[in-house]
Amino acid sequence: MTPPETSALTAEILELEDDPEALFALSLEQGWGDGAPILPPTDARIERLLAATPHPPDHIVGVLPPKNGVATVELAAINAAMAGVLPAAFPFVLAALEAISAPEWNAFALTTTTSSVFPMLIANGPSRDALGINYRAGCLGGAAGRGSMTIGRAVSLCLRNVGGQKAGETSRTVFGQPARFGLCFGEWEERSPWPSLAQRRGFRADQDVVTVHGGMGTFPLADVNNDSAEDLAYTIAKSIAFPLNNWYLEPTGATGQLVLCINPIWAKRFGEAFPKIESLQEYLCENAWQPIELWREANAKILRDKGRVDAKGRVALVERPEQLVPVVCGGLGSLHAVALTSFCESEMQSVAALRA
Amino acid sequence: MTAAAPRSPEAAPAARRLRIRRPTARPPSDTGAPAFLLNRPITGLKVGLRHEGSWRSWMLIVEEWQGFLRRDGATPVVVQTGERTAAEGERTRALVAEWAASVDCGISGLGTCGSCTSWSVHDAVSLEKQKRPAIVAVTEEFAQHAHNMANHLGHKDLKVLVLPYPLEARPEDELREIARDYYPKFLELLGATR
Repeated sequence: MTPPETSALTAEILELEDDPEALFALSLEQGWGDGAPILPPTDARIERLLAATPHPPDHIVGVLPPKNGVATVELAAINAAMAGVLPAAFPFVLAALEAISAPEWNAFALTTTTSSVFPMLIANGPSRDALGINYRAGCLGGAAGRGSMTIGRAVSLCLRNVGGQKAGETSRTVFGQPARFGLCFGEWEERSPWPSLAQRRGFRADQDVVTVHGGMGTFPLADVNNDSAEDLAYTIAKSIAFPLNNWYLEPTGATGQLVLCINPIWAKRFGEAFPKIESLQEYLCENAWQPIELWREANAKILRDKGRVDAKGRVALVERPEQLVPVVCGGLGSLHAVALTSFCESEMQSVAALRA
Repeated sequence: MTAAAPRSPEAAPAARRLRIRRPTARPPSDTGAPAFLLNRPITGLKVGLRHEGSWRSWMLIVEEWQGFLRRDGATPVVVQTGERTAAEGERTRALVAEWAASVDCGISGLGTCGSCTSWSVHDAVSLEKQKRPAIVAVTEEFAQHAHNMANHLGHKDLKVLVLPYPLEARPEDELREIARDYYPKFLELLGATR
């Protein structure tokens, strides 16, 4: 069916029975769905989203691999409508898509790899509470903020429907991960002893910003034994340098980032020991290595051949402190941190959410 | 609150209809860039062999094929790609461009994971864009993925050399035998004549 002349929208119109079950079934049959119900992308819903961005519907946000689908604002809005994104949150979706489209994020590899990697969105800025972006207890899953759940899912639906990323078809992911439904969380800026992630990446505190990290998964860390903040940071550094970390498969440790989610209680302790975040990052980097003896000889030889072993027999995880990125979030129960481990061949990207 | 009276079938309203927009991108055009064949003997040619330093099986095959190519009067030109992002990514892009411009034909591998298949196809396409006969080497499990990626990059006729899967963890003797067995197919896909 052709679109009506009065609409600025150009996507094909489909007509179906006005029944949630019928829409759900259609989305699965057509392969647009992620297995969970969607809201109907009606013109009214789409146009409310479009009104929240300064861009026209035909503005190209980016080109999404693997099928190199052109992500227009209209297509992003259709998928955001399906995910239930609030108009005020739509600029976060567009910012995330722009970030993913940056060549340095390397979506070409990330959307097709056998690994589990997926865009993990970290939100900063004044709109976190109003939009329901989770940054307190359960922020990586379990908290029910509409912003977190729908922004992350909208980006995931765009990768599926615009980029054509489908597990077992265009994506060769072996396991996938729960974040492939969508993962978006905020930084608890008010409880951070340091400037926010967005500020550290050159944005103002009053800007809403999305940072997209190619995260392999959520790697949990727990401790009750280290009374000293330095000792705790040391043990974290050793824990993230686990022998089967993707970084040890790479020719170098020069690319990519790991996000370290630190709970506010630990953040306060770290803030006292490391008043500047750069000093914490340096300390983590200095200690994120393992002795070559940790690996069996055949594997050790490969690491040596790659030049990954230094004169003291240490195999460093990364080359630069800024590759280890602390973000303060999570509940006040302390005890835990989470590492969002790295695909390594992907550079974190940050983009401001622009409002109409 | 009182219960609504049951309606007779005649009084039932027509089912309401819902109009929605399709959320998918338009399929790309299926016009494909041309592929090329040597249509001449391999002797005297510079033959590109690309690996990324990760798959030891493929590096061993590349090593074997260098010897075979020299035996057949050709000059192997090996390139090892690096990271794809940051400063290292710049170097890799320059290296691949230089390699593609310097050889008469070549093969890019190994596709035996998702991203390595994608980049192997990408670099074979770089060669094909220079109007050179180009092949991507993949293992059987990733053959369809290689065809898909070539298609998405607008080079649906890119030639694909399919090797056994899995290649990793095979004994060295077996890998050298595979190298010997697949060398004629490699030349055939390039369009090399005797």
